Amino acid sequence: MDAAGPHLPDRLAEQVRPEARLIVLNGARQKEVLPSPEELTRLLEAVAQARDRNAFARLFAYFAPRVKSFLIRSGLTDAVAEEVTQEVMIAVWRKASYFDPGRGGASTWVFTIARNRRIDRLRRSRLRTTDHFLDPSDEPDTPPSGEDIALMTEREKGVRKALATLSSEQATIVRLSFFSEKPHAEIARELGIPLGTVKSRVRLALNRLRTLLDNDP
Amino acid sequence: MTIAHHPSDETLLRLAAGTLGAGPALVVAVHLEGCAACRERLAGLEAVGGAILHEMPPAPLSADLFGRTMERLEGMPPTPVQDRVPKRQPALGIDLPRAMRRCDVGPWRWLGPGFKWSKVGIAGDPEAKVMLLKGRAGLHLPAHGHTGLEFMQVLSGSLSDERGQYFPGDLDEADDQVDHRPVVGQDSDCVCLAALEGDTRLHGWLGRLLRPIVGF
Repeated sequence: MDAAGPHLPDRLAEQVRPEARLIVLNGARQKEVLPSPEELTRLLEAVAQARDRNAFARLFAYFAPRVKSFLIRSGLTDAVAEEVTQEVMIAVWRKASYFDPGRGGASTWVFTIARNRRIDRLRRSRLRTTDHFLDPSDEPDTPPSGEDIALMTEREKGVRKALATLSSEQATIVRLSFFSEKPHAEIARELGIPLGTVKSRVRLALNRLRTLLDNDP
Repeated sequence: MTIAHHPSDETLLRLAAGTLGAGPALVVAVHLEGCAACRERLAGLEAVGGAILHEMPPAPLSADLFGRTMERLEGMPPTPVQDRVPKRQPALGIDLPRAMRRCDVGPWRWLGPGFKWSKVGIAGDPEAKVMLLKGRAGLHLPAHGHTGLEFMQVLSGSLSDERGQYFPGDLDEADDQVDHRPVVGQDSDCVCLAALEGDTRLHGWLGRLLRPIVGF
């Protein structure tokens, strides 16, 4: 897959309809059945409580290809992205008991692990270990209430809806902000606007995103 | 006290995305400790990261990746041993925020009359430009501008400049458009945590004062 190539618009278009995506499984093209956020949460809890290998295998099947894809899109080579993906999945196994469904969904939790591992990898040339101020396993454990979990599940859905509601330019700005170390330059290139205009466009996009997130928790 | 000054949307987005430098990230983490509203904003933006991960087109994996991963998991303890020994930190006369408990913090050093600084080191990022600053009540800091972003979180006392007043819990972001002359409140000394982004330098006197001593 040419995920690291410059043909971003095609890929963004591809990302619009995740349900239409196919994956290659055992040589046969099959429709991938996407686990629901609730299902992912249940699988993580099974890993945390019972070291459930089948649950982990399902988490791996869902997350590993997406984490790798995300890392490649962020500028890592295929080989490095795969190494980091393995580190991320090992962290998922080992830190599953720190996952707090009252603070965020499973995808968000795995995203924060992938984000921190990517930071480690990018800084590795000049460091031993990085201090993550936002380590998802860093907080005192307070068991979430059912209400918290319901709220988080709603947020997860609300955020997906918000992303889909943004104009394509604004969605591009938000996505590039997650993929790129120097998002302003990439946003200018991608949207064909002068670098000087990027700042105000980013501000507009984030205002809109904030409105959507606030109104649709 | 109500917090009046918060990190910008873009700063929180960069923190959520993992593209904010370690120094600014530390200052924002200290702000988050005291600001539930910004923790909530950050959680929303991290959830955007989760949604983007969800919609990534799956990349093909090496056929044996799962097997190799399971092999590595064999024999690993279920939960990683937390290496969270607090750093030795000198008594600075203030309670340091939790987010700073793993930072190397130096003793107060003289910077000018009524003006002290302490070097803050972040494990893994020796180039981060972070420091604690302490000014006595009523101190006028030299006017200065910045080539890039300066992040400043008030830990105790208060500070004001042409744009507003900053109390404990407030975070100020000053960009290259801001030229300011901060003044410490009359009631007490002020301690704040400040970070400069990347290769940001200070213009004016303060820059000339800091550069040979602080190194940036």
